[in-house]
Amino acid sequence: MSQSPGTNSEDGSKTTENESVAVDSVIDFKGKHFGLETTSEDSDDHLVSGSEGTMIDVERFCHADYRIEQYAHSVLDFSSQYGINLSISYTAPNITGRPSKYPEYGDFPQTFAMRTYGDWWDRAPSRIKEMQPQNVAEIPAEDFIDKEFYTKPLHNLSRARRFTPPLKRIQLPTKTIRLEFNHQRLHYYTEIDAVLLSGKKFNTRNMQHLLDYYERQRKGPILCKLQNMKFRPICRDNYQNRLQHFLMHDLGKFISVLSDVQVQTIQQHQQQQQSLSTDEIKTSEIGLKDMPFEIMLKIFSYLDLKSLFRVGAVSRFLYDVSTHPLLYSELNLKPYWHLVSTELLSTLAKRATILKKLDMSWCGCTVQTISPTEFKKFIQQRGDSLTHLRLNSAKFLNASCIDTLGIVCDNLKELSLRNCSPSPPLLNFSCLANLKNLERLDLFQTVIESDLLLTMLENNPKLKHLNLAFCNVAVNMDDVAQQISKYNKQLISLDMWKAHFLSAQGLLILSNCRNLEEIDFGWCLREASLGDSLKEFLTQCTKLKKLFLAAVRGLTDRDLEFIANLCPNLEQLDLMGVLGLSKERYIDILQKCTKLQLLDLCFCDNIMDYDVALWSRTFKVDIKSCQVPNDFR
Amino acid sequence: MRSLGRGSNLISRALCSGYCSLLKVVTSNSGVSKLRPHFITVVCGFPKDLLTSNCKPGKYGEDSWFKTSTPNADVLGVADGVGGWRIYGVDPGEFSSFLMKTCERLVHGVNFNPERPVNLLFYSYLELMEQKKPIVGSSTACVLILNRDNSTVYTANIGDSGFMIVRRGAIIHKSAEQQHYFNTPFQLSMPPPGYNHRVLRDSPYSADTLSIPVQVGDAILVATDGVFDNVPEELLLDVLKEVEGVTDPFKLQMIANTLATMARALSCNGEFLSPFAINARRNNIYAMGGKPDDITVVLATVAL
Repeated sequence: MSQSPGTNSEDGSKTTENESVAVDSVIDFKGKHFGLETTSEDSDDHLVSGSEGTMIDVERFCHADYRIEQYAHSVLDFSSQYGINLSISYTAPNITGRPSKYPEYGDFPQTFAMRTYGDWWDRAPSRIKEMQPQNVAEIPAEDFIDKEFYTKPLHNLSRARRFTPPLKRIQLPTKTIRLEFNHQRLHYYTEIDAVLLSGKKFNTRNMQHLLDYYERQRKGPILCKLQNMKFRPICRDNYQNRLQHFLMHDLGKFISVLSDVQVQTIQQHQQQQQSLSTDEIKTSEIGLKDMPFEIMLKIFSYLDLKSLFRVGAVSRFLYDVSTHPLLYSELNLKPYWHLVSTELLSTLAKRATILKKLDMSWCGCTVQTISPTEFKKFIQQRGDSLTHLRLNSAKFLNASCIDTLGIVCDNLKELSLRNCSPSPPLLNFSCLANLKNLERLDLFQTVIESDLLLTMLENNPKLKHLNLAFCNVAVNMDDVAQQISKYNKQLISLDMWKAHFLSAQGLLILSNCRNLEEIDFGWCLREASLGDSLKEFLTQCTKLKKLFLAAVRGLTDRDLEFIANLCPNLEQLDLMGVLGLSKERYIDILQKCTKLQLLDLCFCDNIMDYDVALWSRTFKVDIKSCQVPNDFR
Repeated sequence: MRSLGRGSNLISRALCSGYCSLLKVVTSNSGVSKLRPHFITVVCGFPKDLLTSNCKPGKYGEDSWFKTSTPNADVLGVADGVGGWRIYGVDPGEFSSFLMKTCERLVHGVNFNPERPVNLLFYSYLELMEQKKPIVGSSTACVLILNRDNSTVYTANIGDSGFMIVRRGAIIHKSAEQQHYFNTPFQLSMPPPGYNHRVLRDSPYSADTLSIPVQVGDAILVATDGVFDNVPEELLLDVLKEVEGVTDPFKLQMIANTLATMARALSCNGEFLSPFAINARRNNIYAMGGKPDDITVVLATVAL
């Protein structure tokens, strides 16, 4: 599918949905009330919420009131893509610039496609459980892409039929957008052609006023007023009585500086507070503070991290409960990637004394950085009991962080370092060779030296799940296969998507791992003719549930016969892009593999749409077939 | 009266100076960029089976071509699909077409180096392996880049397509054919699985690479072997002499059409001694007349 998403927003600075910005000083507009203005002309999905605070007319400073649009200029980072880095097919850079194929529909290599779709990966044996599931949003983000926009605008109208994801407003001007994707409802790979950002031109001369305004906004109305006033209270040495002194002597002067209307509001406030405090004393029911500690802990264990911090600010008792280490044995900071900072890390370090599982994926991006030294300290303090650690796409890592990991965290059972390859490869993974208890190792899209990988495989005999997708030419898969067959016989799942130098020999050797349930040979074995290696492999590994053979061009009808006869437990099978297979073989597989749920036959020949529909209905299998050829026009 | 006269003098002087400064502003904006040479390119060609094939943009039968430019460079390319794949049920034009289209995409990509056309061929070849639908076949290729900064042409040629540069009625350079044996040129190929050993494959880095400085008014002809095998060199030179100094794209197109038609006519002629026939005789094969083949002519002239 080729679609082009567009968004509506203010260009340059982003405003909140119900407030716009003043050019002139803030005070002037305070008293006036304007109607709620939508900030863009054609708001398709624009939510108009209720007004809060003061409304200020945005039209006053759109001196040049024309719409501008711009396409993405460059990609800063992404969490996954279908193609390899060197390629221009199905990779991230295709999302920049104008759409090349839209509004045509089809499977085009000139678009950006991500690695996974639907929930098939969650049904596979290698699925991972999210830590602290209460933290995860209703629609969790699974992949992301960061794009930079050029400041030069274009005057072009976009066509109809594009989708508009909701844009989260922030208070600062920015050039970068992160798009987050959730694939659960996808039927097949989605391919994105371009991203269009559109909005109104903003007068940047007033940018400084804008920034000041936001600074002041954060401090609240009274503080703003204080900053603008010329009132200065007389300071005495006796600071304990300062407030009382202020209230007695200086309050009058303070009030006289403000306008009359505000005097009334302050007085009203005071009266309200007094009445509330008298009300409270009257009621005396059993509240939260009377509960046993353990019950409180249990209740709090359902809270997400933000709420936990907030509830800790209520009272001393609740603070004690909310900072108990048992609530911090698992930490998932991935949904808070934009909020995680060095300070948060040091606060958590104090609380998380028995940390077992840590997920800091996606943290450390352009918005908020984490200092590597702080992270190292964190690991050194709390890392020895860590059993699960996920640092996917974590941009703050440097070589010494990885060293610390290797030295301190020797109880690690799961290590996930997806997408950890900065452009000058600074990371030195050699200390990871110290880890001896690994059961799950995920190095998707991470460049790691061949020797280190082989050493790690040797040192971790309990390894069950291994992901080496997109490891580049440096790693020779035949050697890895050799190593795995010698040392990692308990392997359950293996992912070698787009790996290099796997030959029929390597495939044959892998048959030593009898426990394999999931294997992904997508785009491997490209030029090899398989001979009998697949047959041997399937004979030995009878527990196979997921077998991906996308673009293994050497597959023949004989191989399909073996798959049908030797894999009774097969649930997911991918045969994309393999030509020369006959219809009877497909039917054979569908009949004999009774547990089959997914069959991918895209870009295969000898099948018609009605065949696919018929098989899908008869055998209750989800069959993917797109007959749209990639037409390079 | 005099004051009026002086006033009008002042006014006219003010207008004049205002106008002059306006003019200066306008010219200074356009005059900032130094005039750099660029290509004016035209294409013409005929597929071998003219009557039965359908027209597709960018292809003439099994031949393919592309032309594109970036702010710093102009790029031309031709590719000739090897016809022997037809017996395996493969369309020979698919490979060459993909190669040329991917080269064009790569020119506008991030890693484009205007001084290394061989990289275009290499990465284009790599892309072949990343396509979901498998592409099989082989072809020759010739890619030519004009680097506007130093007015130099960088070329990469693999196989028997080629290029010719003519200046003031003389051939500055003509590319040499790369052949393993007679009628078996060097070729980039992607064999179907299992045929690895039986198929001739040459690496993109075995291309002939050259860099030639060019001047304004030079004529550059990039063509497939359908032209070079059928049209003798003198005849080509005669036609290309006309190109000198031509900047009108219509006139250029007419010259390109002439070349292509000439090649077509001669290829169908069974009796004259074509360069192909001469070569064949050198290899002890008796051949006479032209060689029927797809013809692709990409004609460019360097202009300011």
